Amino acid sequence: MPKPFEILLDSRDAWSSLRRRPVRSSLSALGIAIGVVALIAMLSIGEGAKQVALQRISSLGIDTVRVESAPPLNAYAGIDVANLSLSLSVADAERISAWLGTRGTLGYFVRNDEQLVAAASRRALVTVVGASADWLAAEALEAAAGRLLLPSDDARQRRVCVLGARLAVTLAASIAMPVRAGNQLCSVVGVLRPKGRLLTEGTGLSALDFDNALIAPFRTAPIPRRGARDRVDGMLVRLRSDASAQVPGVAENLTVILGDARRDVTNYRVVVPYALLNEARDTQILFQLVMGAIAGLSLLVGGIGVMNVMLSNVAEQTREIGLRMAVGATRARIISLYLCHASLLCLAGGVVGLGLGVAAALLVQVYAGWAVAFSALGLSLGPLSAVIAGLVFGLHPALRAAALNPALALRES
Amino acid sequence: MLLQGDNLRREFTFAGKSITALAPTSVAVDAGELLALTGPSGSGKSTLLNLLSGLDRPTGGEVRFEDQPLSGFSDARAAALRNAAFGFIFQTPHLLPYKTVAENVALPCSYGGLHGNAAISERVSGLLEYVGLASHATHFPHMLSSGELQRVVFARALINRPRVLFADEPTGSLDADNAHRVLSLLRQESVAGKCVIMATHDAEAMRFATRRLNLDKFAYAKTV
Repeated sequence: MPKPFEILLDSRDAWSSLRRRPVRSSLSALGIAIGVVALIAMLSIGEGAKQVALQRISSLGIDTVRVESAPPLNAYAGIDVANLSLSLSVADAERISAWLGTRGTLGYFVRNDEQLVAAASRRALVTVVGASADWLAAEALEAAAGRLLLPSDDARQRRVCVLGARLAVTLAASIAMPVRAGNQLCSVVGVLRPKGRLLTEGTGLSALDFDNALIAPFRTAPIPRRGARDRVDGMLVRLRSDASAQVPGVAENLTVILGDARRDVTNYRVVVPYALLNEARDTQILFQLVMGAIAGLSLLVGGIGVMNVMLSNVAEQTREIGLRMAVGATRARIISLYLCHASLLCLAGGVVGLGLGVAAALLVQVYAGWAVAFSALGLSLGPLSAVIAGLVFGLHPALRAAALNPALALRES
Repeated sequence: MLLQGDNLRREFTFAGKSITALAPTSVAVDAGELLALTGPSGSGKSTLLNLLSGLDRPTGGEVRFEDQPLSGFSDARAAALRNAAFGFIFQTPHLLPYKTVAENVALPCSYGGLHGNAAISERVSGLLEYVGLASHATHFPHMLSSGELQRVVFARALINRPRVLFADEPTGSLDADNAHRVLSLLRQESVAGKCVIMATHDAEAMRFATRRLNLDKFAYAKTV
């Protein structure tokens, strides 16, 4: 087994030898580079998708179940859809809350988008939310100034509201300042800490920008109700941290409770971020399998090209091999020399492939709009896999070189 | 005896037929000798050199170096022996084209012998001076003449202070002046105590030998 400094010597000789045939070396390294490009692109796009999924799930809450009203999907003959309530209601929320007990918190809300609100001379188009006090807790909203809504605000039908962080700036609002929404005034009791948007893309849920929302008690929220005063647009169940493993079971029971109340007509949508995580993981695995297969095939084809070039090199350098053996090279050192040769060839392809792979991933990000992310592990995997390909595909030529009879090798013309 | 071959025989099999490259031959050489292996082409001079130096394995017979049979040597031990105790000079100078003259001379040190850049560099400089190529250390092989190339090979053969020098037609590709120069160097090494074994059919080269072994194809070798 060659010692590290001997491998270093062999690497130096192998590099010198590669530099003598720049075109041949470049072409064979190109095959590996293409494989590494595919690998880097796969890993960076996969990593980007994973991070987006994690951000979304983190935004929605891993221990939550979200319900929103939706048009009925499965109304069938015999069901008079017209007589069905087309929305969720406070009664639904109370039924679920009773079933849920102390396992978690349930909040509900009604909302109206693009509603004009004004404070003094300033105006803004915002989302007005009428929410139960528990909804703010379930969404983990925090007050930067003043307070959040209290259950008593709703019970006593106080005309109060809290403002999103950006909206408070837009309206230059302060605590106790009156804000007009529609034909109703409410008094600001709190300003939220910046929270950002609820990342609902791809989930079927409605988007919500907390920073540009006015949140008022459910009953007194200045929202046109169009008939039913107890109409609910959505619910949020957040389980206690020690009960978060029960998320799938809770979602299932919640679906049963809602289905029983409306004769199995599904006019609501249940979204479980926990399940989204699994879906995202499954999608990512599928994507990585496909891209991994492409990368693997490219590396295989590139590796075969490298093996071909290495066999040519061994054939051309037969006398050199004989000479090295004559002056003291063991068969192990000849194997080491040609493995260094193949590995360096592939490493060069791997480094070029790394650069091109990063560029390709960035192009995908710019032109296709896909999220990409680079990890140290992902970036090091490209050159590493190239070196491994070099060792695997260089082994046969190396063994062939080492098996030469030195006396016959020296006679080669 | 420093190096001894007993009943050495070498056959190759080609297309199912056995071809004799060396008929049974015995030879023994000691330090300070310059043995010339002579004989017509195909008599097995180069084959005998290869067998004695361990570059090839005999079909029959045994090679002994200081009474140690080479057949019992592992690949690593045989390689170490070639590196430390043997030096090679070929008919056509084999040099690595991508290495300088100095690097070519130092090539055996990659596999054993001298350690450390300073020691190797000093030894290389001394040898290049010895063969008259001190000013060519940084040249590449394509920049040298045949005679100069052969002297580089000579310097390389001496780098690890070998005890036996094998020279296979060392003057075969040289003009008379260069041939004389190389032969003189071989003789000097022999006088200095090295064992030199030279395959040749050059009459001038034979004159430098202390002893001749004539190989006649399909006949036993005769000492002349």
